[in-house]
Amino acid sequence: MEGNELIAFQIISNVGMAKSKFIAGLNFAKLNDYVNAEAAIIEGQTFLTAGHKIHSDIIQQEAQGHKTEFSLLLMHAEDQFMTVETLKLIIVELIAMRKEFIRV
Amino acid sequence: MKNILLVCNQGMSTSFLVEKMKTVAKNENLAIHIWAVSDAELNDNWEQADIILLGPQVGYLKANTEKVVQHSKPVEVIDFVDYGRANGKAVLDKALKIIEAKG
Repeated sequence: MEGNELIAFQIISNVGMAKSKFIAGLNFAKLNDYVNAEAAIIEGQTFLTAGHKIHSDIIQQEAQGHKTEFSLLLMHAEDQFMTVETLKLIIVELIAMRKEFIRV
Repeated sequence: MKNILLVCNQGMSTSFLVEKMKTVAKNENLAIHIWAVSDAELNDNWEQADIILLGPQVGYLKANTEKVVQHSKPVEVIDFVDYGRANGKAVLDKALKIIEAKG
């Protein structure tokens, strides 16, 4: 596998791992284990950043005139990426809220 | 005949990987049934499978999936490096090794 397929799969794989880690973090928080929850979020962020790096590389290439050929698979990768970014914001907020309410 | 079931969110990228795995199996003359479903379709599919492979994006479903299959068969999360390269051969080899170790 090469080119666009590889790029799409690298994004899907990395943001997919990020998604799993964020949900694992939320599950730890539900057990009131905030140490492991935070560790999982940080791990997830590392995967999300890796996915972001691959994505921004092809955007920069396009800006330099090297257009990436469009495919449904690449669109799917971007869809996954966007979903996980949103999920991260919500999960981080949910964990913070839970922590706050437990204290009250 | 061995049966390998892959599970992910929508079954899109995973069905892509399934095609790669099928090609490897065909080239090596292995009689293996490989198919992909979304997590919502797990209930209707798991009984026919010898092993269930989860995409990295649904790795968080591992414990739940093991519960659904009543720990009757192996449930594994696909290595994200193999997944990221859609490395059909690596995923297939690892799955077969696990099935053999079990059987």
